[in-house]
Amino acid sequence: MPEAAEEVKKLDFSIESLLQPDYAPIIDRAEKRVVEALVTNPPEVSYDPRRYNENVEILSFPVAVILVSAIASEYVKRRFALAEARRAYNLLRAEGEEKIIEVAKKFGWRIKLSSVNIGLEKFDFSLHFIDYLRNTSLFHEKEWKLVNRPVIKGEVYLSKQDVARLLQEEIRRHIESKVDPKMRSILPEKIIEWAESLKNGYAEKIREETFSVGVFSPSGVESDCLPPCIRELYEAALSGRHLSHIGRFTLTAFLLGIGMDPNMIVDLFRKSADFNERMTRYQIEHIAGQRGSRTRYTPPKCDTLQTHGLCPGMDDLCKKIRHPLTYYLRKKRRRVSGA
Amino acid sequence: MAEPDNILFIRGMFSEFYARNADKIEAPRSFENREFGFTLFKENVMIRHKGFSRIEDLRDFIKKNVPSNVYYSSAYYSLPEAKMDEKGWLGSDLFFDIDADHIPTKCNKKHDSWTCKSCGLKGKGRAPEKCPNCGYESFEEKTWPCEICLEAAKIETTKLIDMLLEDFGFSVDEIKCYFSGHRGYHIGVESDSVLGLDALARKEIVDYITGTGIDAIFHGLSEVRSGSSKIIVGPSLDDPGWRGRAAKGAYDFLLTASADDLRSFGLRKDVIMEILEKREIILESWRKGGPWNVVRGLGIKGWRKIIQWGISLQSANVDTVVTVDIHRLIRLPGTLHGKTGLLKVSFPVSRIEGFDPLKEAIAFKGGEVKVYVEEAPELRFGDEIYGPFVDQVAVLPTQVAIFLLCKGAARVVD
Repeated sequence: MPEAAEEVKKLDFSIESLLQPDYAPIIDRAEKRVVEALVTNPPEVSYDPRRYNENVEILSFPVAVILVSAIASEYVKRRFALAEARRAYNLLRAEGEEKIIEVAKKFGWRIKLSSVNIGLEKFDFSLHFIDYLRNTSLFHEKEWKLVNRPVIKGEVYLSKQDVARLLQEEIRRHIESKVDPKMRSILPEKIIEWAESLKNGYAEKIREETFSVGVFSPSGVESDCLPPCIRELYEAALSGRHLSHIGRFTLTAFLLGIGMDPNMIVDLFRKSADFNERMTRYQIEHIAGQRGSRTRYTPPKCDTLQTHGLCPGMDDLCKKIRHPLTYYLRKKRRRVSGA
Repeated sequence: MAEPDNILFIRGMFSEFYARNADKIEAPRSFENREFGFTLFKENVMIRHKGFSRIEDLRDFIKKNVPSNVYYSSAYYSLPEAKMDEKGWLGSDLFFDIDADHIPTKCNKKHDSWTCKSCGLKGKGRAPEKCPNCGYESFEEKTWPCEICLEAAKIETTKLIDMLLEDFGFSVDEIKCYFSGHRGYHIGVESDSVLGLDALARKEIVDYITGTGIDAIFHGLSEVRSGSSKIIVGPSLDDPGWRGRAAKGAYDFLLTASADDLRSFGLRKDVIMEILEKREIILESWRKGGPWNVVRGLGIKGWRKIIQWGISLQSANVDTVVTVDIHRLIRLPGTLHGKTGLLKVSFPVSRIEGFDPLKEAIAFKGGEVKVYVEEAPELRFGDEIYGPFVDQVAVLPTQVAIFLLCKGAARVVD
């Protein structure tokens, strides 16, 4: 991907010139790349060797990035980056070891060919654990946890397939960082029009994230929908038992997340032995994003709660979700539809 | 907490100490990018967001204000004195806290005591969930650093250091060891490679150290076809990383496992009998291929549980919150711990085995103080043993007296 951008620079054409008829195949392919990202599931940009034209493939990519920037939608950005990265993954899996190393080094990875056997398994690559962690932080499968990997002297031992998967992640983030909605203001009117018509044409495919307070009932807590971890913290707070800092944070961020009124949360902590109304209110407002950094915090994910010993054990629904808020949402939805 | 008269006395001693020993206060690297925090004897508040451009300025500040505790940030900031969200986070050392409070020990913390904040009921050991008298759930706790607690903390620290060296590949020079001044050890990794790690990546490192989320099936335990039958294969003792640790843990466990231990895994009676009868053969089998197919009726599920238990013996018990927090304040080496009057001291990794905190953390040498001791367990300082004390006046070496005063277990008598 960094290569593609350089190619375009070499050709030295202006954004305006893109719209000339000579470039029609590029424009056409660029639009297809974005559309494919929106309509395929899981999203993936196609690779058809029969129709493949190297110039068109290389040049249409940065044009697609401009188009996605002009659309200025978080959802389209993420979808497009994922679709392109998944295509890269499939291409990389078929490549030889040397080529994979070459691509990885372009991203600054500290990676080596290894051919080491540990037990019955053979590992072709070793990667510095920092580069490994940077690219697995969004993975949830147990097999990707560092603790479930061979780690020797700072290196994580990996198969080719694993390295390709990690590169997919690096490429996805790289593309996301290339898409810049601020670019919109400097783009020619025609490109904006093009982006708008595409956006309108696929309006129903473009789902803006709606994981906000509005989804939840503001009337109060439906306590039978609480996940086990939150239920435990909630009951502890109700009876005035001591909560650890992170326990308090988790409970507050969760209750704010499901739309509980901050005043009700202050009351919840009232029984605590060291209750201080001013402090409690300040902390809650901080977590709600009304103070300080203005960041609205969400409660930690399930595996973070496990790390800090706040997961009391999973029930059946827990096994299907990774975040306590999802648990609440699902249970509530299930109840409504079951009623 | 110590009584007002005691506080004056302790502050006086701290002041005298810093007047003579401020030059031993260590400057963390990139000193000018660190935030410093202090608690004072007078008000029980934390002064934070302090920054110093030279170590001498910090030493002067400490001499002048005589704080009860001195902290510095594991993080580096462009503006250490700015408000939290305006400091400009540049990175953070990788930090581990090992404290006996979090480690189950053989002494069972019998030396510790608690007082119910509501009815005043007192008891020994760790505080209960609820007061047996009034049902209240908040306690004043008094904890003591006993030999067993300190040794347990040292064992956990040793396991951690082994992982940092062998698995993570840090060099001996990058790993800084400290006695915390109370009941545990601090380990800092000062390496440019870790500075930029975010909280999620640090969480993965903590999970690695504590064995959280580990599963033996990713460390070589599996069923493979051998001719017409299936056999189990597993990790061996000399495998690297967690794989070898999983094997060592299982080995150690089977070396001493009782029928009750094995029953708790839900193993069948005949399988338990078989394990106990064949103990010698099992231990011998590790030399070639491992014990995986030695015990009749013990399948991959049973082995998975046994290895899981072994893993819990091999993991290092660190405080998970400290490592993940990229804005943490940490006690500054070369300063006194306000709850003990002991020094936070640094020492090289190679010395961990022979390190004696109750000798090397002594700050106050020479002199004696006459104190009335309400109650305190037997304590060792240096090569001498003091106490136990119950309701008595004693003339004690300055360090011992300061320790009891800081703990709020004694008061100065004229």
